[in-house]
Amino acid sequence: MSSGVVVGYDGSDSAKAALLVAVDVARAHGDELVIAFAYELNPVAGELHDYHAAVKELAEKRLAEALSVVSADDGLEVEAIPVARAPAEALVALADERDARLIVVGTQGESPIRSALLGSTPHKLLHISDRPVLVVPPPGPR
Amino acid sequence: MESATLAKPTGRIEVEDKGLKKNAITFVSNVVIGVASTAPAYSLAATLGFVAAVNGLGVHSPAVMLVAFFPMAFIAAAYYWMNRADPDCGTTFAWVTRSMGPWLGWQGGWAIVVADVLVMPSLASVAGNYTFQLFGNSTPSNLDVTIVGIAWIIIMTAICYIGIELSARTQQFLLGMEFVTLVIFAVVALIKVYVNHPKHSIQPQASWFNPFGVSSLSALDGGILLAVFVYWGWDSGVSVNEETENSSTAPGRAAIVSTFVLVAIYLLVTTAAEAYGGIASLVNNQNDVLAPLGKGVLGSPLDKLLIIAVLTSASASTQTTILPTARTTLSMARWRALPKQFGTVHPRFLSPGFSTLWMGTVSTLVYVLLSATSPKNLIPDAFTSLALTIAFYYGFTGLACIVYYRRHLFTSVKNFVYIGLMPFIGFAVLMFVLVKAVVDYSKPHAGYAKPFLGIGSPVAIALLMIILGVIWMIVQRISMPAFFKRRPEVVDPGIVAASPAGRAE
Repeated sequence: MSSGVVVGYDGSDSAKAALLVAVDVARAHGDELVIAFAYELNPVAGELHDYHAAVKELAEKRLAEALSVVSADDGLEVEAIPVARAPAEALVALADERDARLIVVGTQGESPIRSALLGSTPHKLLHISDRPVLVVPPPGPR
Repeated sequence: MESATLAKPTGRIEVEDKGLKKNAITFVSNVVIGVASTAPAYSLAATLGFVAAVNGLGVHSPAVMLVAFFPMAFIAAAYYWMNRADPDCGTTFAWVTRSMGPWLGWQGGWAIVVADVLVMPSLASVAGNYTFQLFGNSTPSNLDVTIVGIAWIIIMTAICYIGIELSARTQQFLLGMEFVTLVIFAVVALIKVYVNHPKHSIQPQASWFNPFGVSSLSALDGGILLAVFVYWGWDSGVSVNEETENSSTAPGRAAIVSTFVLVAIYLLVTTAAEAYGGIASLVNNQNDVLAPLGKGVLGSPLDKLLIIAVLTSASASTQTTILPTARTTLSMARWRALPKQFGTVHPRFLSPGFSTLWMGTVSTLVYVLLSATSPKNLIPDAFTSLALTIAFYYGFTGLACIVYYRRHLFTSVKNFVYIGLMPFIGFAVLMFVLVKAVVDYSKPHAGYAKPFLGIGSPVAIALLMIILGVIWMIVQRISMPAFFKRRPEVVDPGIVAASPAGRAE
């Protein structure tokens, strides 16, 4: 029986929106909420240790922000995890590990050009996930 | 995995990263990263002409490529051991600081920055030139090349800033293309030399590879100093291999394989280029030796392949120029050796944002400065002085390894050879080359440009950069004194015990 909701969070507006939706879903099912900040560092051209540490500090800061938003909701079990791996793969792996009900991400407000160049996480996620994926747009007029 | 409970009762952050990424990088990727980090096509295009032009070197360019490999391989051993003890992206900065104190360490970090800044004008002008070659204009004006070159720097900086990462597969594809093109070029050139005997061609001889055949020591020395550049960047491949693999044997093997692949391609292409065009062709086209040869060897339109190979190589080599510089300054900022802006990570792109933009801006300014004053002379001279800087920081990385591990050098023969002797030979050779080069290049007419205060232009450029570094270091000493009170340390004995050489006892 699936339980748990995995949400990708990077501090962007759409990620904040995704977080709120994920909270709703988790609360509705009485699931655990897993907030993940996933990042991948380019291994080319040198050692990564300090750079990795700097990015992880940022990840922890963002996750602490996310927790401060979420933990206003009492009774919800929440876990926040930084993951050093390409975001889409990281979320899928985490969801598998937790046997999550679904994965929630923001649209990340990606511009079409950036998405084309980099590939967008939601797009990749839809391709590689065999669990339901919920993509949440940022608030505001469209 | 430890979990820290935050003040909020319902939430917790896991402190350690999830170790989800196991064996994500394969053996082939490791080799590819190692080879790609040196950008072989660009390195050859930019260096070969200068090597061939060294007075008294004659036909012995391949011998120089061969000889230069050894000190670099020995320094790579130092990288391997230092990285094992302290996988820090400040590399030379962090390691020299740890082993020999903050003052020398700071200068080591500065040397990395200077080397990367000084290579950018050459990189940009090669990229600019080859862009025009690609579209059939073989004699672009200096202004045009400069404008396109600046565009390249901006694009490259932007790529590093927004963190576009070529996937391992894309990299394998690009490198494969580059590699196949170089091999085709070399093989076709050699076949034509033996079959068609084109004008100026000379048949390769065994003596080309014999370093003892070089007429004078200063010729060999000058050649090696330049050839050091073609192997520059390979060390980062070695360290990355170490970091990304969990197995204790595969990473070393990947590093060794990438080394031999590199030496082989350099020897092959150097020999072929020299055989096909003769020395004169290399000397007369110093800024881009491959494009003019490509026309004769491959003919139109296949010669475009070679141009594309150099262009992709030049753009790939930004990853070995901008990325490590940004990581070095980021590391220095985290050690409180530079202002803290250098340590910031872009909130969205997760790149070392400020460091990357700083590097791009400084490179552009230096390029414009050199190009506006004397592009034909100062860019090659900056390139020569860059080799001085590389020799300095590679050499001191070797020394740092010996000093850091000094209590363990005599505990086993393996330790002595791999941690002591090899880095020491690397250090000694590079220091010899450096000192000799400083003596030679400081002569008033050593550079292409006019001497500055009676000092040859390449050494004058290096001196100027050292003075700038010392000034900045003093400013840092006054504004952020804590870093400069660090004491040198030695390696944690546990790391030595856990290493293969330590275990071999």
